[in-house]
Amino acid sequence: MMKRKYLYNTTVCLLVVTGFFSCDKGYKELNVNPDAVITPTPAYVFTLAEYDGAGYNGGAYGTSAADFLLGTMQYTTSYNDVAGFGSKYISSQVTQSEASFSAAYPDEINELGIVIKTVKTDPSKVNLLAEARIWRVYCFMRLTDLYGDIPYSQAGLGYDSSVYKPVYDPQQTIYTNLLSELDAAAQSLDASKATFGSSDLIYGGNTAQWMKFAYSLMLRLGMRLTKVDIASAQTWVTKAIAGGVITQDADIAKMSYIATGQNINKNPLVLDLWNNDYIAQNGNTNTEGGKYADTWISYLQSTNDPRLGVLSVVWVNGVPDTVASIQKGMPQNIPNAKPANFVTYSEPNPSTVLLMGSPKLLFTVAESDFLMAEAALRGWYSGASAASLYQAGIEAAMRQWTIIAGSAGTIAPTEIAAYVGNNPLNTSGSFNQQMAQIYTQFWVSIFPDAQEVYNNYRRTGYPALVPNNYPTNATGGQIFRRCLYPISEQNLNAVNYSAAVSRQGPDDLMTRIWWDKQ
Amino acid sequence: MIKLRMTHWGSLLVCLLLFLCGHGQEQVRSIHGTVRGATDRIALSGATVALAGHREIATSTDATGNFSLKIPAGKVEGAIRLVISSIGYQTLEVVLEPHQTELSISLETGTAAMNEVVVTALGINREKKALGYAVTTVKGDEFTQARENNLANALSGKVAGVNAAGLSTGPGGSSRVTIRGNGTLGSDNQPLYVVNGMPIDNSVPGGAPTANGITNNVDRGDGIAGINPDDIESISVLKGGTAAALYGSRASNGVILITTKKGRVQKGIGVEYNSTATLENVAVTPDFQYTYGQGLDGVESTDLNSAQASGRKSWGAPIDGNSNYVAVDGQHHPYTAKKRNLQNFYQTGSTFTNSVALSGGNEKATYRLSAADLKSNGILQNTSYDRKTLNLALNGRLTDKLSIDALAQYNLETGHDRTGAGDALGNPNWTPLEIANTADVRWLKPGYDSNGNEQIWNDASIASNGYFVINKYQENDTKNRFIGQASVAFEPVSNLVFKGTISEDHYNYNYYNILPTGTLYEPNGQYTGLKTDVSETNGLVTASYKTSLTRDLGFSALAGGNTRKYAENRLTLNGLNFTIPYFYSFSNLGSSSTVPYSPRIGTNSIFGSVDLDYKSLLFITISGREDWFSTLSPQNNHIFYPSVGGSFILSDAVRLPEFINYAKLRGSWAQVGGGAPDPYQINLTYSNVASSGPTLQNVTGDANTGANTISNPNLKPYTSTTYEGGFEAEFLNSRLGLDVTYYNRQTTNDIVNTAVSTTSGYGNVILNIGELRNSGIEALLTGKPVRTKNFGWNVSYNVAYNANKVVELAPGLPSIQIANSVGNWAYLDQIVGRPFGTLVGTRMTRDPKTGLVVFNRVTHTPVMTTATQILGNSVAPYTMGLTNDFRYKRFTLSILLDGKFGNKIFSIFELYATRMGKLKSTLPGRVGGLELKGVDQKGAAYDTVITQTGGVLRNYYDNYKTYSELFLHDGSFVKLRQVIFSYQIPAAALKGLKIQSANISFVARNLLILYRQTKNFDPEQSFTNSNAQGFESIGLPRTRTYGLNLSLKL
Repeated sequence: MMKRKYLYNTTVCLLVVTGFFSCDKGYKELNVNPDAVITPTPAYVFTLAEYDGAGYNGGAYGTSAADFLLGTMQYTTSYNDVAGFGSKYISSQVTQSEASFSAAYPDEINELGIVIKTVKTDPSKVNLLAEARIWRVYCFMRLTDLYGDIPYSQAGLGYDSSVYKPVYDPQQTIYTNLLSELDAAAQSLDASKATFGSSDLIYGGNTAQWMKFAYSLMLRLGMRLTKVDIASAQTWVTKAIAGGVITQDADIAKMSYIATGQNINKNPLVLDLWNNDYIAQNGNTNTEGGKYADTWISYLQSTNDPRLGVLSVVWVNGVPDTVASIQKGMPQNIPNAKPANFVTYSEPNPSTVLLMGSPKLLFTVAESDFLMAEAALRGWYSGASAASLYQAGIEAAMRQWTIIAGSAGTIAPTEIAAYVGNNPLNTSGSFNQQMAQIYTQFWVSIFPDAQEVYNNYRRTGYPALVPNNYPTNATGGQIFRRCLYPISEQNLNAVNYSAAVSRQGPDDLMTRIWWDKQ
Repeated sequence: MIKLRMTHWGSLLVCLLLFLCGHGQEQVRSIHGTVRGATDRIALSGATVALAGHREIATSTDATGNFSLKIPAGKVEGAIRLVISSIGYQTLEVVLEPHQTELSISLETGTAAMNEVVVTALGINREKKALGYAVTTVKGDEFTQARENNLANALSGKVAGVNAAGLSTGPGGSSRVTIRGNGTLGSDNQPLYVVNGMPIDNSVPGGAPTANGITNNVDRGDGIAGINPDDIESISVLKGGTAAALYGSRASNGVILITTKKGRVQKGIGVEYNSTATLENVAVTPDFQYTYGQGLDGVESTDLNSAQASGRKSWGAPIDGNSNYVAVDGQHHPYTAKKRNLQNFYQTGSTFTNSVALSGGNEKATYRLSAADLKSNGILQNTSYDRKTLNLALNGRLTDKLSIDALAQYNLETGHDRTGAGDALGNPNWTPLEIANTADVRWLKPGYDSNGNEQIWNDASIASNGYFVINKYQENDTKNRFIGQASVAFEPVSNLVFKGTISEDHYNYNYYNILPTGTLYEPNGQYTGLKTDVSETNGLVTASYKTSLTRDLGFSALAGGNTRKYAENRLTLNGLNFTIPYFYSFSNLGSSSTVPYSPRIGTNSIFGSVDLDYKSLLFITISGREDWFSTLSPQNNHIFYPSVGGSFILSDAVRLPEFINYAKLRGSWAQVGGGAPDPYQINLTYSNVASSGPTLQNVTGDANTGANTISNPNLKPYTSTTYEGGFEAEFLNSRLGLDVTYYNRQTTNDIVNTAVSTTSGYGNVILNIGELRNSGIEALLTGKPVRTKNFGWNVSYNVAYNANKVVELAPGLPSIQIANSVGNWAYLDQIVGRPFGTLVGTRMTRDPKTGLVVFNRVTHTPVMTTATQILGNSVAPYTMGLTNDFRYKRFTLSILLDGKFGNKIFSIFELYATRMGKLKSTLPGRVGGLELKGVDQKGAAYDTVITQTGGVLRNYYDNYKTYSELFLHDGSFVKLRQVIFSYQIPAAALKGLKIQSANISFVARNLLILYRQTKNFDPEQSFTNSNAQGFESIGLPRTRTYGLNLSLKL
């Protein structure tokens, strides 16, 4: 009898044990993060994408391309080898060139993916979608121009499509898509519909200006194709100019920043420069040994450029001095030891170039003018002459320091007039001579956006910089043609990495990307 | 259907009551008594008192050593014989006088395994011979003489299959313990720590340091570090899934069961006092080159600028004692080798531990109150760790049927200037290791100028001045911890026990880390703070019943339920730029952010087990458990898992040859299911990003790493399945013992948080993938070669081999990444077909035909392979320990050697020391140039000589960092881990002092490394207790510790 009772009770308990009842009441709620939301707000994510795409670089300063390319384009240099990758191409520092790639995807690329996914099916949010698409083009363009083939079509799909190892798309495919994205997005803008409003730090949601920005980017991208596909270049450049590019100061695409507070709200390039070198503000204990390079200062001096006094200072007795005659750039071949006269070299003017709250110009009137000058020179555009566009570009570039730095950056109209008068486009010169003039002036005018200057340098060969043949450089004394993929891709995305390398050429600083064909 | 909820314990208990309805037996004789140790007269709790020949009639002593055994009528004819056994004592058989009902028993110490009783899951005492799995018990006093600040480190070498290693992170650091290898791809793989049957928290506040972290990358200490060894009665290590089945998922990596001391019945108050003072010194000095001194490209530094440029660089002129040399202090010094920079930079560390315990009680209640203070000063100046522990144990027998136990422990732990590891900024260890070899590190003192700003000592400001870090960086942390347990046991009828226990381990942690104003790399400073409350709460009810089904068949059953809640309330405080310079407050920051993180985890469980005992020859245990996990998909959040085990006492069943006096066979099979270790991994969420302007939002980053992680809505439980078999035997009258185990453990559907290509938009993904297998052999050989009155010699040797294999990851996924080093110079991956934790990196490319190095003609450097070369295993598959205990009259000498073999270590320190020209491997080519001979990338012969001119040779060696293979070493070692030399002061000498016993010992830990392959560092140079092992990453040097211990009993 006892035995039977055991059997009964054992059965009851087994039923209990094998889970005929729920022991998870409240667990669904318990597993909800109280400090986070499930649904993103597209405007807030878009603002972050603007910050990140404009160069915040995940907050990791010092190795962003925006920074070291200033050295490569010979605006700046450093006696220190570690910080000198940009101007010295030191082989032991090549991994610095990986940083932009690593940062972009989890930041702006993924953020824009979230925005686009959230707004794309809602017709009332067509402007939000269009602006996100245009900004996405800007971001991808910055990336592919540095690395060549990159993950594009499958990028940022880790969550949505479980793609953990995206393929690398050929740059040609990427360019084709970027251009058609610009076209489609620009045409979808509708002034009667909602915008990001104040969450858009570039245009405050203004659809007309976004359209100009889209066509200006189309101009930039189209012109990029001159070495590799001249016919397409002409088609897109013509289309862009017809669509209406940025030609008024009020339409300049610029990110606005705040001088104090969180780093993310500050001008990222200024933050980089500041933290890397100029934070002590004494001209002597520059953190990583940085100064303006001799190439840059000498050129401004040789042309009596009024921008020299706006952009450059020498610290004299603990005070920054803008007097043009004492400006002096540092040689780019100093072998890793602080020179005794370090303090006497020029560095960025703290009241213009180093303003943490100054806007970062993403696409300027000057850039439109110079690109259209080239278009005119090539006979693709007849709305104005190359010479007048060249002059307009210089004038716009001089005016833009007022936009950046207010009165401290203002160059008197008389000085501007004197400079343009002394430096006209030599219309009787050869095509190459005029190109040299346009893109040397582009170099002076687009500063400090070294990345866009570097793109046009690779495309046109101008300005005709003399590469720094520093011992132990990684390039055989040449300016590098691309940046390196992160080593982590070899570990985490090996197959697609290898496919890209076998298609594009060795993952090497001297391998040329598609539009930079020899 | 029966619908029960976990809160409805009542229903469950009714069920259990029905199930376990007792059948009382007529009692004819009741025997009472006490059991004490023969030499020290300590009352023994948990000793088993059993009727000989009727093992089912047994009881165990309570905390006061008392027992009461009722012997039913008709069980015994003639004299009653009792068998008394206890852990660590020789079993005694006594014959009672015809009418004797009271007796006092003294047990001699000994280790005969056959009648040993061990603590098993849920704190249940069981005879060791009844267990179907391997369990090892270590007595508490093994941890109180030669102490480690972190108790877990002291397990090293003591238990077969337990891989315990201290970290090189300073006095308050964590430990890493793995049992039978790493069983999961994703969780931390450390065992569950259990005190008196209830789990405690072993987390590191804010997470463990990472391999590539910077500034704030300190080891904040783990939970087990808060346990005072003086409070420990014994530690049982449950290795397998079977042993741990009753603890559920978190036990799948094994369980370390700590039984704390309790009060005992005695007249007056018992007082124990234990005091230890130890000193510690750097154990290993690197084998640097002292041929060429500070300078660059063959030229010594002769002025301040060149000294600052070469502060870390020994690429100068031959060291010849000349007087032109100028160092970073701007002074002229003789150009001579400085070989004692490590000794000069680090001081002698010291640790003082004092503990006192009061205990006593009567038949109704006992108490034990202990207080302990540990003060530790690290080898780095200003680094200290202090731990105060107060522990109160109360045990009461309110009536014959009702007893209560309570434990309260309060800890106050304070850490000061814990040392960072990993990258250079704020890591003081870089300075003595990387400073040029003709510079005396003390010339950098005090590391700051008259304004308090960091002084330049090298060309990279990110490489902090170590003295500036010591003197100006600030780190402080305080942990207030309370561990409370209370249980009530009700025994309505004999051998039917209902028990309810509630426990909470709660700590409050406050931490801040100041990167000060005037730091060269970040002149305006940084603030990092962490404030957190963590609690682990468990409620457990059990019902157990023990009876004999027949004369030969013993039966016991247990059923119960557990509910676990883990909760944390964390605030991370980050800020930049101290507005008022040198004033360090969170209120004084240019920008700051406060980020909350509030993880909550719940696990509910029910379980049951049945033990059968046939004639004390054959034992069978069957258990089952069902767990519900809050961290999993609601559709798939629970799992049932069973276990079965058995043992067979061969030596009692059949007649074995004379020299075998004990033999047991055992085997078991068990499954354990587990949930995700972290909450909120089901849904992707979005959080606001700190902003001083517009609102910003992004994917919620990982609370510890910040990485964007792809969540997984389908997370389901993982399963770990273990089977093991083994035998135990004693020979030659127990002079020789052997215990061998084979095990196999397979984890499937593992929950893994792995790095993915950032081009996916995310840094990590949570996957429910993979299969991991551990199989291995453990052996324990014990011997008592000499056993005379005056001289005794015991030897114990344990050895274990664990083969680990990643059997499968997700389809199409050949590898996943666990960690990466500073600078991505090497990676730690899980690779299909390889063991857990494979080091991966680069090599120099070699020509497939000739084997010659392939050079790049432009850069004159060997061409780097892709970073996918397999370099080796990070986890040692072989571990061993050898203990020799000698006793001569009142002297005892205990020597522990331990070793680990077969793993590889990647040294980041050597990588940097190569770049700095400090290693002997950088000497070739300094005179006359270095001939580079091989082939070029087109296969043509390549033969070039590079010289120091223009830094070419220096940069050639600098570039060595891109070849991981050059910094890889075999991590095998044998260490003289512990020496204890004790003298027991004769009682006669203490007579006037009212001292019962006194012991004084010389103690030493990590005294010598007898064998190693890493000539520049200690192979045990880990800096994190996470899975990221296998990297040496410029942590504090390991030390040898030696000192004195005094223990008194009043």
